[in-house]
Parts: sequence; C-alpha cells; structure tokens
Amino acid sequence: MEQDIVYTSKSELKNPLRLFKNMFSDLFASWDLAKSLLVRDINAKYRQSVLGYLWAFLPALFTSLTFTLANNSKTITFEETDIPYPAFVIFSMVIWQTFVEAINGPVQTIADSKVILAKINFKKEALFIAKFLEVWFSFSIKIVLLIAVFVYFKIPLHWTVIFAPFALSVLIFFGILVGLFLSPFSLLYKDISYGLAIFTNFLLFITPVIFPRPTEGTFATLVNFNPITHLIEAIRELTLGPGGFDFTSFYITSGITMCSVFIAWLTFRLAMPFAIERVTS
Amino acid sequence: MIDVNNLNKKFCEDLKRSLLYGITDIGREILGIERKSARLRKSEFWALDNISFSIKKGQSVGLIGSNGAGKSTLLRIISGLIKPDSGVVKVRGRVAPLIALGAGFSPILTGRENIFVNMAILGVTKKEIKKNFDEVVSFAELGHALDMPVQSYSSGMAARLGFACAIFTNPDILLIDEVLAVGDVKFRAKCYRKLAELKAHDTTFILVSHSSQSILSICDTAIYLSKGHLIKYGKAAEIMNYYENELLNKGKDIEVSTRMIFSEKSAERSEGIDFLEIQFCNSEGITLDTLASGESVFLIIKCKVHFPIDNVGLKIIIRELSFESMSSITLDSSDDNFEFNLTPGIVTFKISLPHLSFKPGLYVAKLNINQSDLHVYDAIESYKFNVIDKHLIMLHSTHFQQRDWEIIR
Repeated sequence: MEQDIVYTSKSELKNPLRLFKNMFSDLFASWDLAKSLLVRDINAKYRQSVLGYLWAFLPALFTSLTFTLANNSKTITFEETDIPYPAFVIFSMVIWQTFVEAINGPVQTIADSKVILAKINFKKEALFIAKFLEVWFSFSIKIVLLIAVFVYFKIPLHWTVIFAPFALSVLIFFGILVGLFLSPFSLLYKDISYGLAIFTNFLLFITPVIFPRPTEGTFATLVNFNPITHLIEAIRELTLGPGGFDFTSFYITSGITMCSVFIAWLTFRLAMPFAIERVTS
Repeated sequence: MIDVNNLNKKFCEDLKRSLLYGITDIGREILGIERKSARLRKSEFWALDNISFSIKKGQSVGLIGSNGAGKSTLLRIISGLIKPDSGVVKVRGRVAPLIALGAGFSPILTGRENIFVNMAILGVTKKEIKKNFDEVVSFAELGHALDMPVQSYSSGMAARLGFACAIFTNPDILLIDEVLAVGDVKFRAKCYRKLAELKAHDTTFILVSHSSQSILSICDTAIYLSKGHLIKYGKAAEIMNYYENELLNKGKDIEVSTRMIFSEKSAERSEGIDFLEIQFCNSEGITLDTLASGESVFLIIKCKVHFPIDNVGLKIIIRELSFESMSSITLDSSDDNFEFNLTPGIVTFKISLPHLSFKPGLYVAKLNINQSDLHVYDAIESYKFNVIDKHLIMLHSTHFQQRDWEIIR
C-alpha cells in the first residue's frame, strides 16, 4: 500500500528523522533526472554556438592572456612564480573558473527552471547534481588546455596529481554549497544574483590566482583567511609537487565544507516552498 | 485519495511585503518556530479559507469559480509545491500536474530529447520512458518533426507533445489546469478521449475549467470556489447549474438602480484618475433603474482627477451576459477622436447614447480610462445593467434599429 503524503503548515524540522530520510531517498531518486538534465543543459549550451566546447576554456585563456601581457609589460608586477607565469596563471585561472561555475551554477539553474519549479513538484536535488556534473564536464574540456600548456612549458607533474581531483571536488562542493544556500533567496531577491557577480570578482583578488600566495603583510592575512586559498593551493601543490604548503588548513577547510553542504541542502529544502509561493503563480 | 481538511492559505497583495514575509517564513521554518498562521498580516488576504473536501479514487472533479477564486492555489498545494498556512492535505498516489503544457521544454533541443527530459522531470524512469516513447510520439502526431528543434514547432504541436508527455506518466491523480483550451478542436477531442480512457482505468482527476461543457463531459462531481471559500461540492450538473445561476443573479441584484458608486482611493493607491460614480440617466438627468431598447439615454461617469493629464480616452466594452452570445460593443472615445485634457478636480463625462440598440437582456460593461490606450488610470471590471423591452417592439429583433415612418408624395 502506498503511503499518504501529508502536507501541513508545520515545519518539517519537527520530524527530523522523516525529513532526513526523505532527503536521502530524494537524493538517490534524482539520479536519473540529473543525468537527463545534464545532457539537456550541455546540449542546450553548446548547440547554438559555432565555437561550441571551446567556450569551456576560452574565458580562462583570455583572462590569463590579459594578465600575462600586463605582467610582461610591467603594468602590474607579481612576485616570481615557481613555474613560468603564463603557465601559472592559466592553470590557476582554469581552477578559478571551475569554482566560479560551481558557485553560479545553482543560482543560474534555479532562475532557468523557474517555470517548472512553479508548476511541477519534482526532485530538486537533481538540478544541483546536474550542475555538479556539468562543472566537472566543463573542467574535463579545460584539461585539454592544461595538457597543452604543461607540454609547451615542459612542466613535469608530480605523482600526487592523482589526488588533485579530490581537492578539486572539495573546491566545487564549496562553490555549489554557497550557490545552493543562496539559490532560494535569489528567487526572492534579485540582489543575490547581482551581488554574486561583484562578489566573485572581488574574491578573485583575495585569492592567489593571478599572483602567488603572499607571505607577509595584512594582505597575506586577508588571503589566508579566504578558504578558497587553501583549496586552490592544495590543488596546485598536489599537481606540481611539494612547495611548502601545509595541508592541515586544507583538511580543516574540507571538513567544514562537507558539513556545510548538508546544512545548505537542508536550508534549500526548507526554504524552497516559500520562495516558490512568493514569486510564481 | 485526496483529503483536504480545514485548509487555509493566505497571499499578500504587496510585492515588497510579500518577499519580506517570505524571508520571515523561511526563517521560522528553518528554526522550527511555529508560523503565526491564523492571523493575517498587513496587506494579506485569504486565498483559501477553511476548505475541506475529500476525493475518492477514480473520482473526477471539476473545479469552477471566477478568476482569483483560489483554484490554482488549491492545485498547487495538492501537488506539494507550496505549503498550507493551516490545515492538512493528505494525498495518496502519484500526482501528475497537467498545469503548463510543455513547461520546461528547451527550444533548441529536438522533440525526442525534450520527451526524455520532460518525462524525467515528471518523475518517470528512463526505462518507463523508453517503454512509452512510441505511444507518446504517436499521440503527439509529431511524425518527422520528432528530430526537429522544438522552437520550430507550431504551438499546437508543442501543446500536443506536452499533453502526451504528461498523460503517459501513468499518474494516479491528474491535475489539469485549464490547459485543454489550447489546440484545435481535433486535438481537444483526442485529449478528452484519452482522459475518458484514463478515467475508465480509475485515474483520479481534478479539472479546472471555465467551460461548463468540458467539466460536464468528464467530471461526475464539481467544486465551486468563490473568493477562497468552498461554496458547494456535489454532482457536476447540479454545481454547474448553481454556478451559472449565480452568475446571472449577480446581474439581477442591481436592477434597483443603474447607479454604482466607488469608494474613494487613497492618494498612494491612485494612478491619477479614479472612477467615483457611474449611472445611466434620461434627458432630464434622472437616474434610470433599467434601460429600454430604442430609448435615448446618457451614460454619466464621474471621476476624480488628481493632476493635469492630457489626451485622456474613455473605453467601454459592453457584452451581453449570457452563455450563447459572444457579441459585444466597444465604445472608445479615442477611436471617435475624442481625447480630453483633464484638470484636477471632479470631472463628469456624459456619453449620449441615442436610440439604444441593445435587445432586452443582462449586460456587463468593462470600462477603463486611459492615456492614448497605453496607460490605464482606473478600470471598472464589471458594471452590470438590465435592458428591457418597454414598448414591446423587440419581440422579433436582435437589435434595435431607429426608424421613422412617413409618406412622401
């Protein structure tokens, strides 16, 4: 016998056991849908374009070029990097862009799916699994660029590179969790999506992406305070070999990230019916 | 199958405030604090007020009521999209919403791709989709268009595809929100056939429609909602009768006088011009209770103007309040090259209507006052009046034609 679904005004937190059970069963049940959405999003994104998949890494490539030119012409000067500056900045930029895609993904997908969110009660977890996979897909195209750069500059990879995907996963999770937390509110207030663009731009300048990690001064404190610093440093360290990075901060950041993902997910689930009620009909 | 008990839902008229309430509601939900649901906050109103009913398996229910009666809100709560403010809704079985046909179709993808995505969103597994795929395609009559992008589809084709995707999800409960109005007659007939087939297989329906015909053809029972209240629940034919009578009776209420007075708006809610009063008068300026075909009357409309406005037009659309008649008359001052420059204060429009052409019956007029047809300052949604045949000259006519008889030598 099928179970009754009961809707009341009570907070779902009043019955946490059932809520958690529902959350995880929905998570597993949304896998099929996530795959369909992933295929749809990738096709929809690249089909109506001539350059197609090239768009996965063109932004990273051109930003890197800009900074390389600026660095070479001494318009802006950065400290010496371990590997040639162009290689450093392209490598970091690719990782950074992956992070930006992750943070924008949930807000974007919620905005794009407004119509179906308003009309159909489906497993919304699928939207985020699809975004998570899409970010990975897009990264896998970017790898082609990275390989080309590493070969051209003859940069050897350290064996620990096989662990780099784990660190990258944490970084993507971090982005998704922030986006996931913001997404119901972004339905209510446009400020979220407007602000997010400015915020990520600002974040770029306190993250060691276009410059190596500073070692002293107030700026260094600010950069160290930024959790993304530790994630990006870990990825670079694992790929290029030991350069004196302390992995403790990475483990702490990872632990906090994974716990927060759950909290963000919970918030999203509880908030979504109210957001839908207010902005759609 | 569906059990609704003392259901309440409130909505907010004001966007800014509504968003703020949304945030507070979210906060309370997350912290597990009871929301103060029983009380209305500022600008709120009951979209659904103490609704209770239950629907058994295999029952088909029509949901009727004028716009804003709460029909769609009720469907949205039943499908679990939004939460009740108080009361309990119990649902058993898979619910498929047939609310927006083809919602979520992505225009660049082909019909084939969209079928897979759309049905997955509706909760169908890939295996089931593959099993039903051919049926969906043949029902939607896509033919060679299956591998064409959906943006090149006609609206009828897209609607067919949307309907097919939703219907082949094998739902236990189907929620249909006024979607059968799209598409051509052939498609509609096909949808009704399919619905009848599902009904024979014990699928439960809730159908929202304004058309009494479609409710009577597939529903055994009906629910009549008005302004958030459940007015009547019973056999479809009875409810439809009641509903149509009520619509007609509303017109009869005002038989006493054609004068209608509007409460004055506060300055912040006013757009600049507000209707104050409307009435039909005779040439002596005396308010008429009813109009008579062939009589000469004046429509007097009193407005309050808050600031000087130029090029103001007045538009009046009059329709007969009956189910067969679709005819209407539009009187638009802009069309007649009358645009007025108004100065602040009370302004009275006097529209002379010599030899009324209307046949006897109940009429409803919609009015608005606008600037060059673009900006509407105020509107009257329904102004009802009665036309009678005072001189018994309309027995064999559908319109009055003014005439004079004489002999010329």
